[in-house]
Amino acid sequence: MMSAGMRLGQTLELSVNQQKPMRLEGDLRCEPGQLLALVGPSGAGKSSLLRMIAGLLRPEQGRVTLGADLWTDSASKLFLAPQQRRVGMVFQNYALMPHLTALDNVAIACQGDRSKARGLLEKLRLNAEQIVRRPQQLSGGQQQRVALARALAREPQVLLLDEPFSAVDQVTRQVLYRELSELKQSIGLPMIMVTHDLDEARLLCDQMAVIDSGVILQKGSPESIYQSPRNQRVAELVGIQNRFQGLFEKRLGPPKAHASSIESESSTSGLGLLLWGTHPDNPRLEIRDKGRIDEGQRVTWVISGDGLQLVPEVPNFGTSSGGLASLSVRPDTWPAQVIELRSLGDIRLCRIRVELPEPQEITLTFTSMNFPEVKLSLGSNLGLKLDSKKIHVMPARPEVS
Amino acid sequence: MDWSALFLSLKLALATLAVLLPLGLVLAHYLAFQRFKGRALVEALVMLPLVLPPTVLGLYLLMGFGGKSWLGAWLEQSFGVSLGFTFSGILLASLVFNLPFMVQPIQKAFEAIHEDLREAALVSGLSPWQRFLKVELPLAWPGIVSALVLTFAHTLGEFGVVLMVGGSIPGETKTLAISIYDRVQAFDLAGASQMSLVLLLISGLAIMASFAATRNLTVAKRS
Repeated sequence: MMSAGMRLGQTLELSVNQQKPMRLEGDLRCEPGQLLALVGPSGAGKSSLLRMIAGLLRPEQGRVTLGADLWTDSASKLFLAPQQRRVGMVFQNYALMPHLTALDNVAIACQGDRSKARGLLEKLRLNAEQIVRRPQQLSGGQQQRVALARALAREPQVLLLDEPFSAVDQVTRQVLYRELSELKQSIGLPMIMVTHDLDEARLLCDQMAVIDSGVILQKGSPESIYQSPRNQRVAELVGIQNRFQGLFEKRLGPPKAHASSIESESSTSGLGLLLWGTHPDNPRLEIRDKGRIDEGQRVTWVISGDGLQLVPEVPNFGTSSGGLASLSVRPDTWPAQVIELRSLGDIRLCRIRVELPEPQEITLTFTSMNFPEVKLSLGSNLGLKLDSKKIHVMPARPEVS
Repeated sequence: MDWSALFLSLKLALATLAVLLPLGLVLAHYLAFQRFKGRALVEALVMLPLVLPPTVLGLYLLMGFGGKSWLGAWLEQSFGVSLGFTFSGILLASLVFNLPFMVQPIQKAFEAIHEDLREAALVSGLSPWQRFLKVELPLAWPGIVSALVLTFAHTLGEFGVVLMVGGSIPGETKTLAISIYDRVQAFDLAGASQMSLVLLLISGLAIMASFAATRNLTVAKRS
């Protein structure tokens, strides 16, 4: 046990269930030292959740707790005003007071204690000349530091960041990312960040919550969400490019004890066949069946980048379309053609079309680190090696009329 | 030069400011930030004196607060305050008449404050009252200054309502504007223009002062 005198971060928890004035449903949990990113399209309710934690918005039904302290509880009609909860918040456009200097902006958050405010600003690398300027005379990055200093000035128990990097340029952003990571380690508070930049979220956060239309769809580490999105909408929202339609066809029963091809973990679950696409002549992929999908159900499936590989050999299954489906040996390499090549600095995007009865398109991203051994040029034919163990299947979204 | 009229006009203008400023701040703040049923109605009522002919307003005030009305009689009996043809009466008329001039600019100034700033103040630990003093008031300052100047200048020039409610009793209700009218009626154009010049100067100075005050402030904000 820690000694009582030690200041220790506490876990922040939020649960909300309201329909009016806007729909907000779900719960969040953020432990001290953790950075939780709320991602989702604009208008999804990310900022509203932050505002609920800060006490700027009162949920119709909900609870906000920090450790054992109750901040909001609609059941007992408890609602602490923002100034009664120790929350540090960096607003989207920083919301610095235009009539006050940087120093006074920070000082209002620590009862006018200017020496403390000065110390905080110096810690965040603003010099003596900069801190007597007004916000408009500071650069975006400097304004952001002032906003952060103000948020920290109250000695908050939770730090909230609303799109903190949206107003700074790319170069400054990289510096600020590093500073935020350092801060996260040093302050040991629960930190919650709203962002619509998925790369930013993946880079910085420990936990991620995907929100759409006010509903928290999925929570977890970025890796787990990218590898196994709960449904098609989550896959869309986190920007997984290679999403395919499919049909979960049938169970194959428990695998036979093949020493060679099937690893031991899959023996606990059965195998299933997944139709790639919607056309009945398209091939079936052999996948692990976790028992969550019914037979004959339409599905969406995704595959992570490390399950895809380009190889020079073009497989040939003959020209008749029945050839593929009737294959007794299930191949793992498919004929494909490069249909688009784009270079984005260090990154190269390559779109290929897999030559199936109903062709399927896949986008691959290469960096100089994982450049394929195949020579890529527009229109060239090659083989796509697909590791079906990397496939994640989820129920298809009901058709929207 | 009717010095007592000038003095009375200044006294009326300053008294109007003293009473109307706190009232205007509260009302403007409420209208700017609170959403309530009947808000449009309250806003319309505040604006009404702007479009109402001064004589009509004066007549209603006289009927409402004059010695013959029950309210006037009650005030007279309970407090010994008489509103018909007294300084208190023209002060009340001036308050009503100037309401839009005081409330409107302040309300607009409050409304111009970004909601983020007000929320940031609360999240920084300020109470609503501290927020009012440290954030809202300084940010709305240009609007408050122009409200003060408008009300001041407008009170000096007020004629119709004062005449209806106050008549023209020297030292009590005979303001500079009424004195000018009296002079013209008596064909003393020289006396009238002398006093008009004084009124012109005071009004001009007030407007210039307000421009200077708000300009300094906005320049300081931008630079």
